[in-house]
Amino acid sequence: MKIMESYTILPFSFSRFGINQMLLVNEAGDFYFLDPPNFSSLIEYHMDTSSSAFKDLKSKHFVTDTDIEPVIDLISTKYRTKKAFLNNFTTLHMIVITARCNHRCNYCHASSEDIKAAGWDMKPEVAKKVVEMIFQSPSQNIKIEFQGGEPLLNWSIVKEIVLYAKELNKKCKKDLEFVLCTNLTLINEDHIAFIKDNNVLLSTSLDGPKDIHDANRIMRNGQSSHKNFIEKLEFVRQHLGQGSVSALMTASVISLNRMKEIIDEYVRLGFCGVFMRALNPFGYAKSSYKQLGYSTEEFTDSYKDTLSYIIDLNIKGTYFAEFFASLLLTRILTPFSTGFVDLESPAGTGICGAIYDQNGDVYPCDEARMLAKAGDKKFLLGNVMNNSYADIFLGETLQNIIANSCVETLPGCSSCVFQIYCGSDPVRNYADQGDIIGHRPTGSFCKKHKTIFEHLFKLIREDKQEVMDVFWSWITKRPIGLMKHVELSGQTIKN
Amino acid sequence: MKETISEIKEGAAHIRLMKEIYDKEAVLNATYKMTDKYSVLIKPVGDHEMSVIIEPKSQQSIEELQSAASDFCNEVLDQQVRLNLERRFGKIRELIIEHAFSPLADLKSRLAQIK
Repeated sequence: MKIMESYTILPFSFSRFGINQMLLVNEAGDFYFLDPPNFSSLIEYHMDTSSSAFKDLKSKHFVTDTDIEPVIDLISTKYRTKKAFLNNFTTLHMIVITARCNHRCNYCHASSEDIKAAGWDMKPEVAKKVVEMIFQSPSQNIKIEFQGGEPLLNWSIVKEIVLYAKELNKKCKKDLEFVLCTNLTLINEDHIAFIKDNNVLLSTSLDGPKDIHDANRIMRNGQSSHKNFIEKLEFVRQHLGQGSVSALMTASVISLNRMKEIIDEYVRLGFCGVFMRALNPFGYAKSSYKQLGYSTEEFTDSYKDTLSYIIDLNIKGTYFAEFFASLLLTRILTPFSTGFVDLESPAGTGICGAIYDQNGDVYPCDEARMLAKAGDKKFLLGNVMNNSYADIFLGETLQNIIANSCVETLPGCSSCVFQIYCGSDPVRNYADQGDIIGHRPTGSFCKKHKTIFEHLFKLIREDKQEVMDVFWSWITKRPIGLMKHVELSGQTIKN
Repeated sequence: MKETISEIKEGAAHIRLMKEIYDKEAVLNATYKMTDKYSVLIKPVGDHEMSVIIEPKSQQSIEELQSAASDFCNEVLDQQVRLNLERRFGKIRELIIEHAFSPLADLKSRLAQIK
């Protein structure tokens, strides 16, 4: 007997969620929890179109019982918004000013060179070509990020790049931004004056209290770096303001069991958030992973505990964000696009960001550069001195990466309920598993992200007002005191 | 006749699936998810059935194997539902993405073709 279809089902992915729920996510990233009997009714066209569940599903574009054309129009618009990062090809341009560094961090995936080593600084003619290459990007937004080594060791080139980029931008009129990634320990008043005059943002690294920071981030001469870091942090803030520096934390095995102390140190030093970053299996970290590393489960367990601790801090009145959760929550709870090189589909490598090595070699990401340094130049896109923009950014190497990085078509990803929020990292897949497509069941990338997505959705489903207030305060970057509880539109979620 | 038949023997889960119910693609998608812990063999049995043998890569108890077989049966069911739904709204999905990146002037007529 033919079923009378009183409504049209629109595209969505689904997964069993917890003991007795189904999680549905559509092309636009809208989501809905449904119990299995209602789910069966939905897909068998038996759902009562006057029920609240049906109305919720209709409002979120999972079904329609009216003209389909305007609904398709809306979903397409939302989808386009989610994928807006594709319009800005390529925004982030990282430049390795020098491979020399005064630190020798035990996990350093930049695998830095000695401070006195020769031949590891970017030369002026290469820097000029890099800037010219960057300004060929069609993106209206250009962020130039100075990396190393320690970029302050080749300061004259930083200045040349900033000034030349600003010169070119008089004609191009792009939204131009500079970020200096520095360990701060060498920064002086001359640097500060230039940084202030040219609106250069500062990004640094802090791994926690003194003993953890020093254990991970030792000076090349074997001395502690923490005291110097704290002094320079204060010095920078005195001249540039309290919010002038953001910090990045890398978790080694000693960090995992002491995350609360690390968070407390960040709060004590006046940072407004942390990005809980797992160790990358590159550079020194790869060779010493047995000493520094941990399993994906150990990381995600620690992540969940730490997130809970941070949420509590916010509830008690301290505004402090976990930036990775904040990014994912923005993807889940809002229609907006969030550019994040490591988690896009197609992959952000090359599309969202590219890195220029000190000799002018161009790679789609830092990890690809590190593979090259270890002898595998699979992802080398070209060199600014020898190749054109088209050779580098439209060449076969990048096209091959992009073509094999769409989660919509990857095995294990194509039917995943988190697909619209997630992405792929072909270079990571290659480094971990020897294949850019990767094998999801054994890959750490999928396991880590899936666990975090499941945890965030669990918290969203619980819909505790104080927790949701924290999430929205992170998304809107406003302290919780300014927030009101935002009920998930059209659905009251109960435990 | 049952849609699925499963039994544990010789250290592996043996599952038989009705071809009338399950597509090969659904079975492949479901088994792919288990390939971290299990070796999987899929073969046709006669005209109407598929045999799926799930063998753990490291030793497991009978209870663990039964649980794996049960999870597989749920997963293959979910995968088949996804395929069935995709057949219904896959064309709409393609249209949404096409319309998102290159707005279609003839959206109404394209939708009419799908229906």
